Amino acid sequence: MENGYLERVLATCRIKLTQDEFNKISKDIDEILGYFDTISETDCDSYDPAFQPITIPPKLRDDKADAFGDVPGLLKNSKIYRFYVVGPKV
Amino acid sequence: MKCDIKSFLDAEKPDDYQERLKEEIGALNAKFHMLTAAVNSIGSGFPFSVKDNICVKGVEASASSRILSGYVPPFNATAIERLPKESFAFIGKTKMDEFGLGTFGINCDDHPLNPFDEKRVTGGSSAGSAAATAVIKHHVSIAESTGGSISCPASFCGVVGFTPTYGAVSRYGLIDYANSLDKIGIMSRSAGNIKYVFDLIRGEDPRDSTSVSTEISNRHSKNLIVIDQLMDGIDQRILKSFDRFLSKLQSLGYSIEHRSIPFIEKSIPTYYIISMAEASTNLAKYTGFKYGHKITDFSKGYNDFFSDARDSFGMEAKRRVVLGTFVRSAGLKGRYYEKALRLRSMFIEKLSETLSAGLIISPTMPSLAPKIKDAGSLDPIATYSMDSITIPPNLCGFPHISFPFDYIDGMPVGAQAVSGHFNDYSVIDFAGEWEEQFEYKFNYNAGAL
Repeated sequence: MENGYLERVLATCRIKLTQDEFNKISKDIDEILGYFDTISETDCDSYDPAFQPITIPPKLRDDKADAFGDVPGLLKNSKIYRFYVVGPKV
Repeated sequence: MKCDIKSFLDAEKPDDYQERLKEEIGALNAKFHMLTAAVNSIGSGFPFSVKDNICVKGVEASASSRILSGYVPPFNATAIERLPKESFAFIGKTKMDEFGLGTFGINCDDHPLNPFDEKRVTGGSSAGSAAATAVIKHHVSIAESTGGSISCPASFCGVVGFTPTYGAVSRYGLIDYANSLDKIGIMSRSAGNIKYVFDLIRGEDPRDSTSVSTEISNRHSKNLIVIDQLMDGIDQRILKSFDRFLSKLQSLGYSIEHRSIPFIEKSIPTYYIISMAEASTNLAKYTGFKYGHKITDFSKGYNDFFSDARDSFGMEAKRRVVLGTFVRSAGLKGRYYEKALRLRSMFIEKLSETLSAGLIISPTMPSLAPKIKDAGSLDPIATYSMDSITIPPNLCGFPHISFPFDYIDGMPVGAQAVSGHFNDYSVIDFAGEWEEQFEYKFNYNAGAL
């Protein structure tokens, strides 16, 4: 990975690393990407991408709201203010 | 085929059976750390455990990650909902590599130990499921595999581990690692138990659009196929033992055929590219205010808040999120992600052709369960390469089963049988046939009647 690119990726995925972690992960990542690059040795352009391993018939649900059974139970996992989940400022 | 679920349910048990079982499991859990917590009481049904990334209503589900600690789902996963409550008794959640990100079962706090040798790994990521199955006599574990997370620990812990065709079992209620690869499966001590539970939990689910109702077949073939490239790098002792296993199968009427599949070794980087890309998006939902671990300082800015929350990820999770984000980058996705998806198409086609002629058979893992200190010191590529045999069927969604076929130095050695899509019964029945003339060994039998 080019200089500075790892920092950009870390910012994008909002991962913070200590200096020791950064040194270790940057070394690992270069080796792993080198390993990933070995797939370029195969010619598979004639194949369509397989987003799933099996053919799944298209299934669309009706476009209507469906009430979840246990909303209070779901909200117990969050800090709540007047029935809203509290989150950080934008 | 051996199945002890019905006989267990019909058997007359001592009045204190559940209490004794609870105490025995508690003592073994203190020794092997396979469960996340001891249960308060065990019902009268057949004991079952659940991997910690599958939701059980009212029971903490952390996927063995600190970022989800304290998360209690208010619903059951479909696979759990479909187990009749009167017939099955929940005994606890099983430990795993964080979010399934691991091969050895050591990417979590207080990781499980192998019941055959406490200095060795259980394998992962369904580490606790395999350890629990190895120590509890009458038991099934609802586990999950993405790239080998059922076969690997089943092999290292000497139990039977079944991974169904992708889509055969609903993933509703599963904490995702990689959506196009995750499969909920089953571990137990016999193929018969697995078939019994598989028939209960499989089938289309309106809550999982990738689940299907395709009929499960049993195109049982007496032809077994060895893929020569998959034999590269396997421990010589395992290879010799595997040759004896093949001879035994020939004496039982099976024919053995050797084939080659070009570039099959590229299935490993292909798998890791796809799984990391999907993991990096799935793990984006852990933001510190909706599930599990909470950041309470809401005065922080948006980016700092999320970055602080995600500091709870372990090192492997961070590594895979970073790599997954990278391979999806604009300008790079054609080189990595899209190329990997095309390669998956190619492997599905090539392996399907092979599987139309019989089952693929191999050792499950290239080595015996390694010592914990050795596994922990492997670099990432060496670790990923340990999955060389379990990845092809997982990448392509083929059903497969791992079962013990020998013991070397007291450690179990597993064989893996793979079949074509929705031909799941063929691999289960194949393992069942093997069990008719090979006795599995266990050092512990908690709850024996």
